[in-house]
Amino acid sequence: MSTSFENLAVGDTINGPKFDVSRESIRLFCDGSLDYNPLHLDDDYMKNSFGKTNFGGIIMHGMNNFGLITRMLTDWAYPAGAIQRRLETRWLKPVKPGDTITPVGVVKSKQSTQKSRWVLIDVLVRNQRDEHVAAGEAMVEFPLSGSTVA
Amino acid sequence: MTQAPAFETDFWKDANLRKVWDEIVPGEPRKTIPYKLTLEAIQLYCRSVGEDHPLYFDEAYAKTTSYGGLIAPPSIHILLMFACTPTDDWMRTPGTINAGQSWSYNKPARPGDAITLQARALDKFIKRERLFVVHDNVFFNQHGDVICSGRGQTIRPA
Repeated sequence: MSTSFENLAVGDTINGPKFDVSRESIRLFCDGSLDYNPLHLDDDYMKNSFGKTNFGGIIMHGMNNFGLITRMLTDWAYPAGAIQRRLETRWLKPVKPGDTITPVGVVKSKQSTQKSRWVLIDVLVRNQRDEHVAAGEAMVEFPLSGSTVA
Repeated sequence: MTQAPAFETDFWKDANLRKVWDEIVPGEPRKTIPYKLTLEAIQLYCRSVGEDHPLYFDEAYAKTTSYGGLIAPPSIHILLMFACTPTDDWMRTPGTINAGQSWSYNKPARPGDAITLQARALDKFIKRERLFVVHDNVFFNQHGDVICSGRGQTIRPA
């Protein structure tokens, strides 16, 4: 059954793509995002401490989580004619080369407004140790039939 | 529209010109640079997160959809943020740590769009000895439409 506003239920899950993090994937994200902060490039620089934190080596861009969550949400929304309208995230743990991360979404609530329909989704990214590395909330619009999408 | 000659990937360059936390004035507009979003840049970003949806890659398919042609994924603002940031801006300061983001999406960005950014620090504060700045960003296309707007928090290097 394809996803529609009517048949969605609170607690429904959206399974996102598994993503293998490597030095190469982080480097590719530098090129894709133009974010060449040495946090993601320079092992010598990462021997320094940042306040009370020492990461011990390069870390993945936090926004790589954001991009992966977006991929999960849009791959789910497009076939239903739905549109990702909002995404809020915070980072809980650094992600390092060798980690595998997987986003998941859980439908939290549905709401109709004067002109449209909205689904709120809790989002979470886990690593291979089942630790939570990023969390947040998304809002997806399911336009009423006849209204324009883009 | 002028385009920056080539993107400077050395984030240490011009580091001495950038404002430190003490000098950042909440409410003051940041200097930004316009950016021509190419299909190549969209697809490179897509590959870096494993995006393979035909709306980003297959023009013949995209034309059959309500979008009417190729678009960029909503998260393209990740690329646009740095593309529109000059080398002397504190967004590029090495050691800047992203502490969280929230973004709202209006119109999709498309290949060929002439993107502009209006950005400023909205607030700054100290929490558990760490120096935070709240960022306020809005991206527009060449028609003056809002593409997306976002708020972020970064922790500044001490």
